[in-house]
This record gives sequence, structure tokens and C-alpha cells, in this order.
Amino acid sequence: MKLVFVLFILIQSLQCWAQSLVDGEISGNLEAQSRHSWNNQAAKDELMQDWDEEDFYLFYGNLNGKLNFKNSRFETNLFARHSQSDLYKDRSPSQPYLAPLLFSFPNKLVARDVLKLKHETGDDNSRTEYVLNKLYYEWDYDEHRFIAGRMYINYGLGEIFNPINPFNQPTGLTAISQIAQGNDGLNFTFYASEKHTIDYYFLGDKTLDGYENQIQKTLWIHGEYQFSNELQLDYVVGEDQNRLKLGGQFRYNFPEAMVFMQTLFQTDYTDDKESHPLFDVLLGYDQQLTNKWHIRAEGGYQKKNRFSGLTSINDRFLPTEYFIALANQYEIHPLLKLGGTIVNDIKTGFTYLIMRNTLDLGHNTEAEIFGYLPVAKGSGIENDAQKLVTTDIGVALRTFF
Amino acid sequence: MYKILFRKDFVFCLALGANANNAQEWSKYAENQMRGAHSHSEIEMTIKTPNWERTLEINSDVEGKKLALSTITSPAKEKGIRTLRIDNNMWNYFPKLKRKVAVSSSMLLASWMGSDFTNDDVLKASSMAEDYQHKFLPNQKKSGVDFRVIENIAKSNSKVMWPKIITYASKVDCLPREYQYYDKQDQLKRILYLDDIKTFDGHKVPTKWVMQPQNDKDKKTTIIYKKMTFKTDFKASYFSHKNLTDY
Repeated sequence: MKLVFVLFILIQSLQCWAQSLVDGEISGNLEAQSRHSWNNQAAKDELMQDWDEEDFYLFYGNLNGKLNFKNSRFETNLFARHSQSDLYKDRSPSQPYLAPLLFSFPNKLVARDVLKLKHETGDDNSRTEYVLNKLYYEWDYDEHRFIAGRMYINYGLGEIFNPINPFNQPTGLTAISQIAQGNDGLNFTFYASEKHTIDYYFLGDKTLDGYENQIQKTLWIHGEYQFSNELQLDYVVGEDQNRLKLGGQFRYNFPEAMVFMQTLFQTDYTDDKESHPLFDVLLGYDQQLTNKWHIRAEGGYQKKNRFSGLTSINDRFLPTEYFIALANQYEIHPLLKLGGTIVNDIKTGFTYLIMRNTLDLGHNTEAEIFGYLPVAKGSGIENDAQKLVTTDIGVALRTFF
Repeated sequence: MYKILFRKDFVFCLALGANANNAQEWSKYAENQMRGAHSHSEIEMTIKTPNWERTLEINSDVEGKKLALSTITSPAKEKGIRTLRIDNNMWNYFPKLKRKVAVSSSMLLASWMGSDFTNDDVLKASSMAEDYQHKFLPNQKKSGVDFRVIENIAKSNSKVMWPKIITYASKVDCLPREYQYYDKQDQLKRILYLDDIKTFDGHKVPTKWVMQPQNDKDKKTTIIYKKMTFKTDFKASYFSHKNLTDY
């Protein structure tokens, strides 16, 4: 199966390479980050995270390749990441330090994979990984498009929480921004009319039950319907990771602002494993207040999966159940943008402040100063992930080519 | 010489000049010349401050007043970012992440890539001829040149960001050389200077546009139209989501 898949992609690519109408492009980015982190007392006392202050260094980059042909294209992306910190100390496998999972989120670079296409190494103070997280061939026709391979699936308006899209985690709060998750399978897009687009996905997933077991299938439909000049509706329905899922997004565009709502319902596992239904809701508001100042508010509820434990921070960055978030971005100079997001868990009072200030250095290079600050710990915390949140300050330097 | 005298635009401009009550026609004429029914242009935009300068290159496709598609072709950081406008709806597309994002129509007033132009300017979302009422003010002379001065006041039902714009138009070719933009408090906020008129497919177009914000006179943004054609015939599906994501 794997061999057939790789050969199929390879043959198609070679055939097209041979055609005369080839137009290629290589692009990418590189980024270096350094952060100093102070541990949360609750993590030390209750979660055996016995460290006080540590430094964390992260280097990552993307290399994108694209070959355009007359009615088709081949695209690939290699993502490489190297992180270094004493927090990778070799402790017992059941008690690792968990902070690096937050510092390098998203940790799972391929959301639904049939093939590994990755290489990981690590020692007592570092981790290195290379992932081919995009590798596909695309055919374009008048009213439809067909993709085969490892692809990005990127839809939904939520920047902090985006429940209708289980195939790509939003990176609005994370330190790694130039990343999307890959998904293995097939995609058929049907442009039914100028107002209606339907995407059909057939994906495979081996990560859910491990590589030794059978491939779990995902059958997914995402539709986008422009109901009127102001109103757009999205719908999603399908079977994914052994659950049946149904949801949608509503967007209304007022002259002054855009409001949107998302909801996703997930049934119990279809294969009788211990589970319970899940339900997520998101409300959003987006407005350009002046020509320099942009605000976005997102609030919602994500049903906690009580069977997932702390490892769930692999899947979702936001450690809250009921939350409200306000994100501001202000351009004080064409070179300097100030960004600040405050996230509050309505139930516990836990409040998290994230600052990101970006300075354009010219020559396709920019620097960023960032800070992550849990400003209120909250009371009666049941969510262990909130106890893990550290206080961090850091700098990043990134370049694009 | 005869050819020049009998060119449609030249005759039309002469006729306009003779009619003092035709401020609306002056605006229509300028918009027709500069915008046409549909156009494709290759633009170089330079944002300049005393210590810093940045240049972007953009391809811009416009059809009528409701459809526009722009693509950044340089620098590497922004290369490939596309914006589609269909009526009042806008979508940005980031090809490296394959992400299409619907943006609020209030984003039309946002600064475009840190420049002194807004999304509204780049996507040509508003129409001077249709969204404003026009009347002549007394003629003025600037640097020895005579200008017709037109006051453009936003119609009550139009969704535009500038309630008042003053146009200084050349008496020779009827094309604007300066737009002054006033906010709701009637404060002059920015001035757009137009220069270097060239002819593309029979349309006379100022190819150098300099936007000067009034609250920061050390900063300015210059647009140079490097290429422009009005003969582009876009396919029916050109301004579509499919084409937006086909990059």
C-alpha cells in the first residue's frame, strides 16, 4: 500500500517534470528562538515538574518546493526543528518534563498520517526532527480540483480555537507560527457554483492506534456556501478518529465588523471503546478599529475529554474549558507591530497574557520579542494543563527566502 | 496633429472644460480613464521613512467596481499572498499555509502592508464617481498651474471611509493631480499626488502616485505603475475562490 502510494506520486511527478511547461519555485523560512522560563509552583508541587528556571532554544525552518504545470502542480514542504534545553533530561518515561510540549507546540506535525515520512533523534538535552509535512500532486479542472498525497487542510475562522477543523491546529497563541499540519489521503474539491464549494476528504490515520495496527479512515465533507452578500455558512460532517462529527460555521459581515460562530458535535467512539460525546462552541468578533489597530475577540466552550489526560496538550494548546480571549494588534510604525492577547477561563479565573512584538529588520528578516504570562492562577483548578503554564520571555529572529 | 485633436478623450476633455456645471462628468471621465471596465497592472510600491525604505511588487486585477484580485510578487516574506474582493466581501489567501481567510469588511480601512494606502485604495473598492456627490469650487493656481477644484462629498448611503475628498484636476487633460482626504472632523488626513501621465491601451493614467499622510510628513508611500493593460478579458471564473487558491 505504502509502496504503491509513493510510486504513484513519484511517477506522476516525473511525468510532469518531463513536460516542457515547467515552472518551479523554492521558498522557505528559518527561525531561531531563545526563551527563559520560570516554572509554575503548582506544577512543581502537584505534577512532579521539579524545576525552577530554565532556558529553551528552538530552531526551525520550512523548505517549500513547487512545480507548476499546465493544469497541475506538485508541492512539497520539509519542516525541520531542533530544540535544546535541560528540560529534555532523561527521566522515567511516565514522568517527562512537559513544558517543552507547550514551548514547541504544535508537537504533532502530521494530523492524519498513513506514512511516517519523518525522522526524529534526541539526547539528554535536545530533540531534532525532520518531517515531510506536505507532499502532494494536484490536478485542476474547470469546476473541480483533485489532490493526492500529504496536504494541508486549512479552513475555519477561529485563530485561537477552531473546532470545525480537526486537521490543523490554530497557531494564534503559539510560538511557532510558520507551520501547518499535514494530512495523508485524497481531496476532491467541487466548485458547485460561484457561491458553493464542497470539499470531500478521504484520509488515513495510523497515529490513533499506533503504527502496528490498521489504518483508521476519515471520511469528511466541508462545504462553504455564500448565502448572501453578508452571510456565509460552512458545514462539516464525517467520520474521523472513530467518532462521527457534525458541525458548522456561521459568518455575518457587518460594515463595521465581522461576527462568527462555530459548533462541532462528536459522538462516542464508534468502536465501543470507553468514551463520551464531545461538544465545542466558538463565538467570534473581528474588527479593524482604525487603519492601524485590529481587534479580535473569541469566546467559547471546549468539552474536556476526561479520558485524554495531560497528553491532550499535544492536540490543543488552549488549556481552558470555558474561555474568552481578546487579541489586539497595533501597528505603531510600518516596522513595528505590537500584539497582545489575553485569555481568561471563565470557570476557574485562570488568565493568560501573551505578548508578541514584531520588528521588521528589512531584507526579509524580522525579530520578535514575546512573553507568556499567567496573570491569574484561578481557583479550584481541575484542569491540570493550566498548572503547567509557565512564565516565559523570549526573542526570535526569522528570515524568509 | 489632427489625430491628437480628434482623439475621443481629448475632445471630451475640451468639452468638459467648457461646461462649468459638469463636476460629476469630470469625476466619471477621470475614473473611466484611470480604471476602465477592467484592467491588469503591475505595481511597485515603496514605503519610505527618513531611516528606512521597503519595496513591494504587486499584480492587480480589477473588473468593474465589485471584483478585484491582488497578488504580492515580492518580497519573499509576503510573496504569493493574495486578496480577493467580491463586492463587500474580502478573503486573504496565504499559499505557504494553504490558508484562505475571510476578513471583515472593516479591513478595507486597514493600512495595506504598512503603507499609507489602505485595502480600499489597493482593491479599488470605492468609486469616486458613484459614491460621492460633486461640485466645483473656485479654480486655483498651484506652482503656476491652473486647476479645476472639485469637492466630493460622500453620499449618505455609500459605505466609504472618507466623507470628503477635494480633487485638483488639470485643465489640460482633465485628470486629477491631487486628492485631499478629509475625515469626519473635517481634518485633512492625507494627500495623494498623481504624476507622470502615460497612455495604456488608449487610457491616460498617472503612473506615479505618492501618498503623503498629514500626521507624519516624514513618511510617504509611492506607487509606480510599471505595466498596465485595459484589454484584459478575464474569464468568468477569474474572480473566484478557486482562482484565489490556485497559486
